[in-house]
Amino acid sequence: MKVVFLLCALCSVAAVAAICIFLFARGVPAIAEIGPLKFIFGTKWKPTQQLFGILPMIVGSIYVTAGAMVIGAPIGILTAVFLYKYCPVKVYRFVKPAVNLLAGIPSIVYGFFALVVIVPIMQILSDTSGKGMLTASIVLGLMILPTIISTTESALKSADISYFEGSLALGATKERSIFASVFPAARSGILSGIILGVGRAIGETMAVVMIIGNQTVFPKTIFSGIRTMTANIVLEMAYAEGLHLDALIATAVVLFVFIMIINLSFSCIKGNEMKQGVKNK
Amino acid sequence: MKKLIATVLMAAMLLTGLVSCSNSNDNQDGSISGEITVISREEGSGTRDAFVELFEIEEIYEVAEITEKTSVMLTSVAGNKRAIGYVSLGSISDEVKVLAVDGVNATAENVKNGTYKVSRNFNLAYKENGLSEVAKDFLKFVLSEEGQKIVEEEGYISVDTNEKYKASGLSGKISLAGSTSVGPVAEVLLEAYCELNPGVEFDVQQTGSSAGMTSTIEGACDIGMASRNLKDSEKETLTSATIAVDGIAVVVNVENTVEALTSEQIKNIFTGEITDWSEIVE
Repeated sequence: MKVVFLLCALCSVAAVAAICIFLFARGVPAIAEIGPLKFIFGTKWKPTQQLFGILPMIVGSIYVTAGAMVIGAPIGILTAVFLYKYCPVKVYRFVKPAVNLLAGIPSIVYGFFALVVIVPIMQILSDTSGKGMLTASIVLGLMILPTIISTTESALKSADISYFEGSLALGATKERSIFASVFPAARSGILSGIILGVGRAIGETMAVVMIIGNQTVFPKTIFSGIRTMTANIVLEMAYAEGLHLDALIATAVVLFVFIMIINLSFSCIKGNEMKQGVKNK
Repeated sequence: MKKLIATVLMAAMLLTGLVSCSNSNDNQDGSISGEITVISREEGSGTRDAFVELFEIEEIYEVAEITEKTSVMLTSVAGNKRAIGYVSLGSISDEVKVLAVDGVNATAENVKNGTYKVSRNFNLAYKENGLSEVAKDFLKFVLSEEGQKIVEEEGYISVDTNEKYKASGLSGKISLAGSTSVGPVAEVLLEAYCELNPGVEFDVQQTGSSAGMTSTIEGACDIGMASRNLKDSEKETLTSATIAVDGIAVVVNVENTVEALTSEQIKNIFTGEITDWSEIVE
């Protein structure tokens, strides 16, 4: 039986290894051919003229992800606080499944919703086409809510209740007890929720590509359109050939490196807890 | 805490109020003005290649929005008063307004008689030797009167033919790959062909023109579909047949007061030399 478990465990490792090999085997030679500096710091993306600079897209991915965090993280964390200590049981029965449902909605549905609802609203507010960074940030902020809410809530719940009660007993208000004594205890859980949210936001594709405009220029305002790395890949994959195709795979390599950095920082934060966990075993 | 929240909310309301007041700048006679939202297809798309070539555009305006789907293009134009885009004539809907180009309306008739110049060929490409009997027979069907009638029914423009097709009774499998624009009409043609020859099975993959040509050259499929003319490198190994002609329609929002543009104006809009509708209305 042990062998079966081992084989199953190897499946996912093998999948990651296969993806790594494919990406780097095709992407790295392409980066070398274009020139690493020209590729990462190039500001012009014009495949027909053999110009492959992805800096605008790297900037785009970072801006949009940051925007999503600014919108999603506070709402998510405060929702978790509500669910943790303020929510009546009857409301909880309604809110919790609603949050979980939000996680289950396919991203293309988010994209279409944003295209027909949020884009027209942004048109009126900003006097532009309505597609751009802010629109994408709002939608991504909504999409990462479930991740942040559930991770934060479980982190708050797993913190020792005596911190909260002790603080209340000393005369602190409920808010102060949560923010000043429970939050520090649950810090690593909350942070890892945020990092998972960043990972989800930077990797999101289908919703973003429909509402962000996809221009390969640096944005001037928060309403300007921009292209993310994921959008670049999905936009041009169908028709690309030759070096153009390899450049798209190279874009995926850069994205992959970003995701690895995010996951590494996640492991670092989780590292201490894991060590403790192993000791307790 | 509550005071803080109340202040933030008040500020937000005030801001929204200010923004919505400051943004009614339409002309008084009701004609369109404001910055043009240019929407284009992605680099490498057959529709974009044809559009750029026909209007002699060297480089699409870099602030143009890019989309990879016809449906997103239509929804965006339908929802934005100041947008302009282009789609295949076969896929236009009532949600958008089709502009006349150089005074000629974009209709199938005008494409066929050559007055509407913004059109391109739909091609099927194959290897001259090594094409299976059943695939050859299918090509014969497509280029017959029966096949071309279906092309017209699908909203595209037929090519001239006076061949009649007789069911051959062949059986086997035909696989097609390529353009997402040609794919839908090819599927309808294959279904009709299979009704005449019940022993035939087919398989259509919509992967894009260039990918379709590559897999035909590699032998992964029998026939490749392209919504553009073949490149020289592809012509070395492939033979092509034009099965239909498709117009490219320039579309704007239904509320737009502009009814027609010259090809010069369209070129200037898509290269970023004209950026405001008021430059055109005058």
